[in-house]
Amino acid sequence: MVVDLIFIVLAIFAIGGGVGMILFAQPMYSALSLIVCLMALGGVFALLSAPFLFMVQIILYAGAIITLLLFIIMFLNIKNDELPDEPNKIVTIAIGAVLLIPFNILILKAFNTFPDKPMNILGNDFGDIHSFGIELFRGWLVPFELISMLLLAALVGAVVYARKEKIDG
Amino acid sequence: MSNSLLAWIVLIPLLSSVTLGLMYLYSIKISKIPNYIFSIFALSAPFLSFAIGILFFLKMIGNDDIFVYEAYKWLSVDGYNMYMGFMADRLSIFMVLFVTFVGGFIHIYASGYMKDDEGYGKFFFYFNLFLASMLLLVLGYSPIIMFMGWEGVGLCSYFLISYYYEDSENVKAGNKAFIANRVGDLGFIVAMITMFYYAGADGLDFAHLEIGLASVPTNVLTFIGCALFVGAIGKSAQIPLYVWLPDAMAGPTPVSALIHAATMVTAGLYMVARFHFLYDLIPNVGLFIAYIGAASALFAAVIATKQTDIKKILAYSTMSQLGYMFIAVGLGGYSVGIFHVFTHAFFKALLFMGAGAIIVTLHHEQNIFKMGGMKNRTPLIYITMLVATLAIAGIPPFAGFFSKDEILLTAYNSGEYFIWGVGVFTAILTSYYMFRLLFVVFHGTNYEKNRELHPLSKSITIPLVVLAIGSILSGFIGVPELLGGHNMIGVWLLNFGEHSIHVGHSAQWYLMGINVFAAVVGILIAYKKFFKYDMRIEPEQSGLIWNKFYIDELYDRVIVQKFKKLSLFISYRIDVKVLDMIVMQLSKNFIKSGYVIARLQNANTRFYAFFMLVGISVMSTYLLIVMR
Amino acid sequence: MADSLLSYITLAMILFSIGFLGVISRKNIFIIYMSIELMLNAINIIFVALGRYNESTGPQVIAMIVIAIAAAEAAVFLSLIVVLYRKKKSLNTDLFTSLKQKDFSNE
Repeated sequence: MVVDLIFIVLAIFAIGGGVGMILFAQPMYSALSLIVCLMALGGVFALLSAPFLFMVQIILYAGAIITLLLFIIMFLNIKNDELPDEPNKIVTIAIGAVLLIPFNILILKAFNTFPDKPMNILGNDFGDIHSFGIELFRGWLVPFELISMLLLAALVGAVVYARKEKIDG
Repeated sequence: MSNSLLAWIVLIPLLSSVTLGLMYLYSIKISKIPNYIFSIFALSAPFLSFAIGILFFLKMIGNDDIFVYEAYKWLSVDGYNMYMGFMADRLSIFMVLFVTFVGGFIHIYASGYMKDDEGYGKFFFYFNLFLASMLLLVLGYSPIIMFMGWEGVGLCSYFLISYYYEDSENVKAGNKAFIANRVGDLGFIVAMITMFYYAGADGLDFAHLEIGLASVPTNVLTFIGCALFVGAIGKSAQIPLYVWLPDAMAGPTPVSALIHAATMVTAGLYMVARFHFLYDLIPNVGLFIAYIGAASALFAAVIATKQTDIKKILAYSTMSQLGYMFIAVGLGGYSVGIFHVFTHAFFKALLFMGAGAIIVTLHHEQNIFKMGGMKNRTPLIYITMLVATLAIAGIPPFAGFFSKDEILLTAYNSGEYFIWGVGVFTAILTSYYMFRLLFVVFHGTNYEKNRELHPLSKSITIPLVVLAIGSILSGFIGVPELLGGHNMIGVWLLNFGEHSIHVGHSAQWYLMGINVFAAVVGILIAYKKFFKYDMRIEPEQSGLIWNKFYIDELYDRVIVQKFKKLSLFISYRIDVKVLDMIVMQLSKNFIKSGYVIARLQNANTRFYAFFMLVGISVMSTYLLIVMR
Repeated sequence: MADSLLSYITLAMILFSIGFLGVISRKNIFIIYMSIELMLNAINIIFVALGRYNESTGPQVIAMIVIAIAAAEAAVFLSLIVVLYRKKKSLNTDLFTSLKQKDFSNE
């Protein structure tokens, strides 16, 4: 019962945040809506017996990525009248929504065929840091290493982009 | 001696012509080959074929043999086979013999006539190719093979008439010949198809057709007979497809001698004789053929009385004599017609060759009113041409008398008195215009006595003599029983349908006398007008007859101009405006639509994402609907 | 309601759709970036829900890898935005069209 309620509240926050994100004209407000949404999603993770992931979501996503985003937004110092003109925003959203309906129905129909299983919170250290770490470093070692290389590449790329401006300037 | 030798009769001239062609190419591209090497090949071919023909002829004396040689399977469709086959029966061997004999001497004449010409090798390539086609036509064992030869002679006639191609008038004459022949060929093809459809179930050779056609309804037979005759009209220059023959005189004289006197123009005759089994069944068509022949004979003779070009006179004379031959075959006298073909080959070829000799001697002068008094200056030519003119006029004992007499007897015998009367009147005209030619050219006074004569080589004069002897002697193969002869040619070609002679002996004497009388009348009129002709008097060059009854102009206005306009219309209006327009517009629109589609790539990522969404949506709907 | 897989999936699909609509309809490049992040998060939810459904930790690991990738992408994306802003002095994605098909219609 309580769990249902928590889920519904979290869902409302998530969806509300998402809608707000795409409807606000100013990027700052959109980013703040996105933070709300991501926090709610972290809560959903917790509901799904993934406590480690809940923490990672908060720390990484809401903490690091959005912070970086906000930093760039404020760095570029956009005035209100420099924002691009978007006259057909609502119309396009409406058309897109209509077009997306069949896709959603398809996916949901597919998932409907799954047999019913309980989805309550498991207690036995499922999704704990310990078991998560064992899973990661046992079965998923190679992707782990590859991720590190990916991060290195991203780092270098970001630096190159920033550097190039300096040479030109 | 196997039957395959039959194929060699055709193959020898064919191989010779190919060799000559290759040698000629070699001689113009790499290094020149002297004329006598060409002559060796070219002149031996007809006489070799003649020799093989004699071999077969000897085997056929005294019996009724027919030699058939099927060389190879040419077409095989669904079990129906057509072979490249040769057939030698009495008619075709007879044709082979005189075609190769007369043709061989014309080759010798041509080697002297054309000896200064640049394209000597090319000329003999065409000449031998023509001979091969004619022999194929005569020896073919089915109408299809005959048609191959038929087309071949038409083609070679075009090549040879347009031989002096630098002058576009000659090429136009060649075109005219080919096109008029083509119109006739259409008739032949239609007839062949109809024959195949109705009677060709067992095979398309003459033997099977003879059996098959007996059971075909008469109206179909009439159609076939008329269509075949259309082909003969084109090839043998009868009314209305004769217009090419006078213009064909633009070619060198040996060409006129060989093709338009002795061989190609007689192909139509041969065809009617070969299809005797068909024409025996439809005497009405035969009567029509005889009327056309009579009309052509009279028409041509009238025009010839006023012509001034020596070769044109002879051309119209050929047309007129061909008309006589068609009178004969039309009324069922096939052997009579072929007899006249035989004698005509000798004296007409001789006349053309003599005319060519005169023309060369007088430095290419062709107007008879500019010649005159040649009797003393070129006596050999005079004597030979006198012989030929007597023969064509029908004076006994020269050849033309016997054959012409037989023709008119056939006409009288069939009860066609009108045709007989036309024939007699035309005989008067024939002897009139031929002696007019003789007197004007050889007698009379020439006011240019001091013109140097161009010398003539032996190769020109010897064939003249040979053919003159032939013109005298060739009549004797057909002497009728009336005069004590055995009518050898009638006997030889007996199985080609001879009507029995109803006319009594005394009537035959009368008819013979009328013929001789007509010829003499013509000579006398010509004598009075032209024997002492004063060359300074220019003859009148106007009037209906001199303008050939304006038939050429009529054809031009009614047919040729209309076709020209139509072709111009199609090529400039329809082709350029309509068809090009359609094709170009199609391609332009294709390219334009390409550009329109290319504009989809506007580098706007959101745009692309939107279309991805559209795609996903469509696929999902599809999957939802299909996969319940 | 929290007991069924389907509700989680529904939530994820709704978020995904919202994110997709954001990509299509907005011209502001920041919004586009944020919509992409939202889509990634929606996919994460599906992964974790299926992991809970099958009681396996594998999908959770995958989800974390996705988050790591999103972080890398953020770095590159945002520096790219800075570069592009310096180029065109505007945040309008419709202006970056130098790859478009040249107009040859008047050939």
